[in-house]
Amino acid sequence: MTVIWSGLTLGAIYGLVALGYNIVFVTSNVFNFAHAQLLTLGTFIAFWATVTLKLPTVLVFLLCAVIVAAVAVVEERIAIRPVRGTEGQLVTTVGFLTLLEGVTQLIWGGQPLQVPFFGSEKVLSVFGGRVFPVELMLMGALVVFAAIFVAVSRGTMLGIAMLAVSEDREAALMRGINVRAMAIGAFAVSGALAGLLGPVVGPETFAVVSLGSSLALKGFVAMAIGGFGSGPGALIGGITVGLIESESGRYLGESYSNLMVFTALLAVMLLRPTGLFGHARERVV
Amino acid sequence: MDVRQLLQRIPTWAAPLVAAVVVILFPYLGIQVTVQRQVILVCILTLLVSGLNLSLGYAGELALGQAAVYAGGAYVSGYLGAHGHTDLLVQLIASAAAALVIGLITGIPGLRLGSWSLGMVSFFLVLLVPDFLNIFSTQTGGTLGLAGIAPASLFGSQLSPRSFYIAVTVLTALWLLVLRNLVTSRHGTAFRVLRESPVLASSMGISVFRMKLSAYAIGALPAGIAGCLFANLDHYLSPDSFGFDLVVSILAASILGGSASVYGAVVGATILQLGPLESTSFQKYALVIYGALLLIGGVVLSLGLAGLIRSLWVRVERRWLPRPPITTYVGEQLPSIEGATLSVDHLVKAFGGNKVLQDVSLEAKPGQVTALIGPNGSGKTTLLNMICGYYRLDGGAIRLGDRPSPHVPYKVARAGVARTFQTPSIPEGITVAEAVRSGHYATKHTSFLSAVFRLPGYRRARSIDIEEARRVLALVGLEELENDEAASLPLGTRRLLEVARSLVSSPKVLLLDEAASGLDEDEVERLADLIRRIAASGGTVVLVEHNFRLVLSLADQIYVLARGSILASGTPAEIEVHPDVMTEYLGMKVPAADSLLSTAGIDGGKDD
Repeated sequence: MTVIWSGLTLGAIYGLVALGYNIVFVTSNVFNFAHAQLLTLGTFIAFWATVTLKLPTVLVFLLCAVIVAAVAVVEERIAIRPVRGTEGQLVTTVGFLTLLEGVTQLIWGGQPLQVPFFGSEKVLSVFGGRVFPVELMLMGALVVFAAIFVAVSRGTMLGIAMLAVSEDREAALMRGINVRAMAIGAFAVSGALAGLLGPVVGPETFAVVSLGSSLALKGFVAMAIGGFGSGPGALIGGITVGLIESESGRYLGESYSNLMVFTALLAVMLLRPTGLFGHARERVV
Repeated sequence: MDVRQLLQRIPTWAAPLVAAVVVILFPYLGIQVTVQRQVILVCILTLLVSGLNLSLGYAGELALGQAAVYAGGAYVSGYLGAHGHTDLLVQLIASAAAALVIGLITGIPGLRLGSWSLGMVSFFLVLLVPDFLNIFSTQTGGTLGLAGIAPASLFGSQLSPRSFYIAVTVLTALWLLVLRNLVTSRHGTAFRVLRESPVLASSMGISVFRMKLSAYAIGALPAGIAGCLFANLDHYLSPDSFGFDLVVSILAASILGGSASVYGAVVGATILQLGPLESTSFQKYALVIYGALLLIGGVVLSLGLAGLIRSLWVRVERRWLPRPPITTYVGEQLPSIEGATLSVDHLVKAFGGNKVLQDVSLEAKPGQVTALIGPNGSGKTTLLNMICGYYRLDGGAIRLGDRPSPHVPYKVARAGVARTFQTPSIPEGITVAEAVRSGHYATKHTSFLSAVFRLPGYRRARSIDIEEARRVLALVGLEELENDEAASLPLGTRRLLEVARSLVSSPKVLLLDEAASGLDEDEVERLADLIRRIAASGGTVVLVEHNFRLVLSLADQIYVLARGSILASGTPAEIEVHPDVMTEYLGMKVPAADSLLSTAGIDGGKDD
């Protein structure tokens, strides 16, 4: 059961990254590869705010959300808006990821930093497995944010406008939707989400620069398995990836966990390219 | 002779050749060993980058797994070298074979999914390298690295550092030659067509599946070769050499040098190798520099340094050098065409719950212009797309001549159906003549090898391509623009270019999707004349058009499509006065319609 709990925790982090991808993807059809690095930045700011500045918890969250959201908006401005086409954007988002990784490393160094958890650090025993409160909180965060994402994207005008932009940018412009504001908004929201998660993810993973690239890929797998642009997809996809990784690591050996995740990714892509909750589009010309 | 004319006579391969010879001869020119080592590292990075350039720059496929392929090649050669198989040729072949296998496996998802899904999968593959090395740690040394690789030999004698240097530089130069021959060939143009749009490629009879596989396979080869060379450089391999940093530096070098270029790889590799990769003082800032390079490259230098140089050269050419004279095409511009009857029987198509086509039947005969008109959203383009094989049929049948039409787009094209697009689809970076020749690509099969070695079969196919392209360019009146960049032409000219491209394969059936929109009066006249001539020569022409006057003057048979079904059909004279057509399509009020409405108790009212 402990293995399952740790799988669910990993899965929650992946799912939250996938959710961040989805927020941007749904509004602007952009795959923001740097999102996981924003989350990593969030963990560092959480460290800085709690350990260096010794701020109260509420301010830590606020600071993380504001700074990371600002960085995300900068990213939209310099790496997304001037570039058209998926290839170009993949290159520039990878560029932004690398730049962010480099800058983070210059500021905080390459060593992992332990981010203290604001809540209880006492290990709990749930359903016969050992689990930390922070891990339960991560799972809770995934469920809550996925639910909010679904509620907003299905139930509000904003969500419908997001869908419209993603479906056909020009048609949305014609309908009076402020496409640019939507894009900036999406980056700001996904950035704020990444920032808010910093103080929760940090205690689990430590603040370490190399976190970004591995989370970026696992988050992508979660998104691909769940379906691009789908809230429940991010939830299910994230948990699937987390469980595969921890179970195969436990029973086959550490070296096999990434391999099994990769196999699952290939299988989903070949059998159901749209993911579990995605929709196919047949139109081509 | 005039200096300028002399300059023009120098072939484009002269400068790279001279540069390659000089670099190869470095050891004899007294260049230091440390510099030679740098050159070897530049060569290895060049090989990696050029593989990426082929798949990303030319074919537009984000196959970014070069680092994983490189690791595969390196460990295969390293393993052989550590077990007494030191012959460089044997190792090269083994590494190349390993590269092909890895390249193809990573490519599998790319066959079904486009763009960044493939990118992510190939990134992921790089993440797996250390795991694989661990799993096979008895063979690879795992995290400790693979030591004890014996020095390479060639034909039984051990290679000295000097001869190894020469081997590396010669191999790199040869590979660049192979790549150059490939991308300047008809296959290179076909890759660019694929990059522009897989839909376009298949409409021209190019098998997207085959082209993508080729791009993954050929793009992986140099990475395998690079791995083999790397294994023999230090006689030691460590998993750290194949990490995510390498992926980023390969990508940065490619973007900086210019992805769609052959020699850009050398430029990008040199800058990165001598810059951030080497100097230790930069180590701290390496990531920042890579990131900045990728951002700048992606945003500002979209064509890289090679693109910059190319556009400067074009300016010099325009300003200083005389334009090569264009010889007018003499000969039959339009030999007789063997058309085929296209018949559509009771076709049904629905997207989800939305019935786009319901029970549509029509027939287009050789020697005639068959027009398809109807309001926006009536299903005209959907019908064309179904004829071309892009959508599954939900009911009914499409026949070409006396055979059922195939349901695979590129097979439809090869069966003799050519089309133009509502929005002209013209690949970037090629000339007008090349764009037209690409339409002829599928009519004659030539292998990649014959293009690389410029074998007689390839030369024959190429001269036919050139001749046919000149014929149709003369036919549509674009002869003079032969050497201009195709994608930068104005809309009307691009439409005519598309018509030329679809005509070059001498299609049995020609589908024109709103070919006249965006043309000026002269161009419309030229197009109308052209369509008449094609029909008169025996071709089957299907015209989807909004210009009602043009349709009336051109068509032999008109089908009116409204809300997914055929509202009326007949000759222009019949359609012109058809009451349903006038209300439905032209929004006109006619007495019949008015009386119909008033009997139903509705005021005929406003035109909307």
